[in-house]
Amino acid sequence: MPQVTTERLKILRGKIYELMELYPSYQAALLPSFFVAEEIFGFISPEAIGEISNVTGVPAAEIRGVASFYAMYKTKPMGRHIIQLCTNVSCMIEGAYDLVEYLKEKYGLTPGGTTPDGRFSLVIMECIGACGTAPAMILDTDSYENLTKDRLDTLLESYK
Amino acid sequence: MIKITIDGIEVQTDREITILEAAKQVGIEIPTLCTFKNLSPSGSCRMCLVEIERLSRPQTACTVKITDGMVVRTNSEAIMRARKAVLEFLLINHPLDCPVCDKAGECILQDLSAKYGAAAGRFKEGKRTNPVSFEDPVIVRDMQRCILCTRCVRTCDDLQGAFAISVINRGSHSLIEPFSGGRFDCEYCGNCLSACPVGAITSKLHRHTYRPWYIERQVETICGHCGVGCTLTLQMRENTIIRVIPDFEKGLNSGMLCVMGRFGYDYTEHEERLRSPLIRKDGELVPVSWEEAVEFTAWRLKELVKKYGGGAVAGIASGRCTNEDNYMLQKLIRYVLGSNNIDSAARLFYRPAVSYLERMFGQGITANLIPGIANSDGVFVAGGDPTTINPVLGIAVRSVWKKGGKVFVVGKSGGLRSNIKHELNHAEGAGALVLTWILAKVYEKKNFISENSIIDKKLSALKVPDMDMLVRVGVSPEALQYTADELVRLKNPVVIIGPETVLYGNGSKNLFLLGALNYVLNGRLFVLMDEPNTQGCLDMGCSPGVLVGGRPVELETFGHKMENTAGMKTPEGTGLNLFEMINGANSGSIKAMFVMGENPVFNIPDKKKVESALQKLEFLAVSDIFLTETASLADVVFPASAWSEKDGTYTNLERRLQRLRKGTMSSRGRADWKILADICKALGMKESYTDVKSVWDEISRISSVHSGVRYESLIGRGGIWPYGGEPLRGIEGDFEVEGLEDMPELPGFAQSGRVILKEDKSLIHSSSLSRYSPALMGVASEPLLMINPVTAQSLGLSDNERVVITSDKGTAVAILRADRGMPEGVAALSNTFKDNGFRSIVGYTIDPTLKSLNITDRVVTIERAKQL
Repeated sequence: MPQVTTERLKILRGKIYELMELYPSYQAALLPSFFVAEEIFGFISPEAIGEISNVTGVPAAEIRGVASFYAMYKTKPMGRHIIQLCTNVSCMIEGAYDLVEYLKEKYGLTPGGTTPDGRFSLVIMECIGACGTAPAMILDTDSYENLTKDRLDTLLESYK
Repeated sequence: MIKITIDGIEVQTDREITILEAAKQVGIEIPTLCTFKNLSPSGSCRMCLVEIERLSRPQTACTVKITDGMVVRTNSEAIMRARKAVLEFLLINHPLDCPVCDKAGECILQDLSAKYGAAAGRFKEGKRTNPVSFEDPVIVRDMQRCILCTRCVRTCDDLQGAFAISVINRGSHSLIEPFSGGRFDCEYCGNCLSACPVGAITSKLHRHTYRPWYIERQVETICGHCGVGCTLTLQMRENTIIRVIPDFEKGLNSGMLCVMGRFGYDYTEHEERLRSPLIRKDGELVPVSWEEAVEFTAWRLKELVKKYGGGAVAGIASGRCTNEDNYMLQKLIRYVLGSNNIDSAARLFYRPAVSYLERMFGQGITANLIPGIANSDGVFVAGGDPTTINPVLGIAVRSVWKKGGKVFVVGKSGGLRSNIKHELNHAEGAGALVLTWILAKVYEKKNFISENSIIDKKLSALKVPDMDMLVRVGVSPEALQYTADELVRLKNPVVIIGPETVLYGNGSKNLFLLGALNYVLNGRLFVLMDEPNTQGCLDMGCSPGVLVGGRPVELETFGHKMENTAGMKTPEGTGLNLFEMINGANSGSIKAMFVMGENPVFNIPDKKKVESALQKLEFLAVSDIFLTETASLADVVFPASAWSEKDGTYTNLERRLQRLRKGTMSSRGRADWKILADICKALGMKESYTDVKSVWDEISRISSVHSGVRYESLIGRGGIWPYGGEPLRGIEGDFEVEGLEDMPELPGFAQSGRVILKEDKSLIHSSSLSRYSPALMGVASEPLLMINPVTAQSLGLSDNERVVITSDKGTAVAILRADRGMPEGVAALSNTFKDNGFRSIVGYTIDPTLKSLNITDRVVTIERAKQL
């Protein structure tokens, strides 16, 4: 997890100023600035919200409300790699819950949790549109289909 | 004209109002939860569903505007079913813990459920659970009971302007939380808890100690904390205040209160309240009877007057006491003892500022109405943060911004930070530079033709600083240009003047600049006032130069009037002001002093000097509710009754007279006017007063400003300036401005390692009184040193560290708090906490023109405190 430092906050501030130029109102710049905050700090940290509030003038409580409204923003610290595993109908039928169970056994990873070494976080997804090749997951920004325990195992080994 | 029919009753209006408002006009009640006074409609609770003819589905009455010919039914069977269903939904997650809920008995959800609700719900799933947050000292947040009507969030955003809370998460996981998720860390105004229709946000002060139906009595009174004078209701049981609630129908604050008014009432119950009169015997203050204390005081005063003459006696009045109290003190000092030496803490800022402005423009120039601020299109603030000194006035300023008006703040923007476009936060001591530039630019752009040649002449004499100088004191050219351009455009401006204009730097010039700016802009003036009755204290003649009604002592006609109507002979000569009294006590020309409700040792800078001066007095009498730093030096101490224990009148900063009403029936002390009247009586005064009304009657007979104002008529708008009498017309003639033609000097920047200290006015505290309030102490329990983070870093200090502040006059200990709003090289300390007050560690001089307090010796060193 990247530490909150004055330098990092300064980078964030610079990026938000750039974003504010692109949008008609400061509120509109909030959503993209969350991505920037995630990029820099790994999640939308309270310090980052404070900085966004300082720059845009949008009250901090309101920013927290917006950030928590959307499910795909990271509002708490996450691991280096994020496993977004689908457990919707098709994936469930094809054994997605076995994979959830396996992740728990092997890495101690529970849905919504992070491994103690901060390597992986697991997020349970609703349908990601890969029903034909279920079960499927998105690992960071890559998508993987037709998963089995063995395949998952080898895949995860390549994410250190 | 719009005609509609509601339940067969025809309603006619000429405005487009909502169905809910129209129904209310003809007395039809539609149940609501999310609608609240002064808030815009939200339509989120769905409780107010009504049937509209030719519309297939029920509509929310709170959001739908009426149209001509509309036919509405509010009581059909379908609507009853809908209400029942809505309540069933609302109760899915509600814990139904009414037996342990403080709100039970005045809970709208409870009332509606009893009236319309289903006896049982059909949902078998478990209820949503959220932990109750006890993290705050004064507010408890129980999100299980919340029905998400967002009344609290809308109150916080739209009315209070604090933006402290928000709806977090989504759908059934939604809940109301502050930014931290735990502690509110907000302004603690508590307006959200009077907005909450259920028991989700409640006060911690009286948690589980009462039921609404336990209230035995309630009185409408005026808040005793600051100069705004908010109307509030005290609810009592067995002689103690159970709680303070706002009154949405009455008063200038329309239901808004601040942290001091809502939670700071508990100082009246503090265990250190004085219980009986004290007399110093063998160096110790010992309890005595009232008779003994009164007789002793009268005897000592008589003896000293006989020995040294009336001029050796002085009185200090208080802006915390009522008009009647202050009147009686000046009667004692002036007419019974024969001395014009009477002054008050108003001398420390309010009196010099207001009298200077009145000298420029005439009596009553600052008597403008606070609710009127909201109608302005621009507010210019200098010299102090209205959101902390007079919080409810600050809310009015924020509402200007909310409506699209402009807000400009010279200096630290503080609570108005999100309401301004550009900071005009200058280096310490450069206020006059910035103000001069703005005034000159506005004057030039307005093409102003003045009818007042005196002001006009002075305006042309001003030397305007160039932009380079202003940039050097840390103000951006863009901000200045913006301010000047926008100020010129204002149609209905307001200028607000705070204490820093007089306390630091050249007071008369700052006041002239602001007064002239207001004159050029044709605006309305407000002067911030931190005590509830400072203005009244002056109107009652508690100032050496003026008599009751604000008439100057020199005006002989008024002296004759006093003699003719009341048989009272005004002593000759102008008396001593507060500082001259202290000097007089030091040099031995003042021998006796009566201090009422004031704590000069703590509130006048240079504690050591004031303390030693008061110790030299042959006789010092103090009436107060606590044994303050001053009272502990006294020869006689009278326990006074507190704000909630007495009747009387207060005059607020808009010069509105308002009635203070007695709530608590028994008091540990007596009203100050009563104590003083007894002393006067013992000294041979003829008049006797049965109650506070008889004192007021005498005031209204004597004072030409208050003439004919009846005590009973002081309700509602009855006390608005001008009262029955006639104000003084503008005083023709010149007035003095110190260093008018001089270019304001660039401030000397502090040497490294040294910091300039200012007074911090905390929102939570009102001078030294609030240190006795457990609730307010719970919110802010320790003195804080606000300092610029860069300066703190350069001193090697970090946030939340305990630091020692050392000046030439003393030391104080505080917790360091980094604050980006502070200019570099400046720190601020409050004057609230015992032994750690700002004023105890600085010195002072007297402004030659204003005769006001000018704080000096502000350069301090700040070091990390040694570990205990």
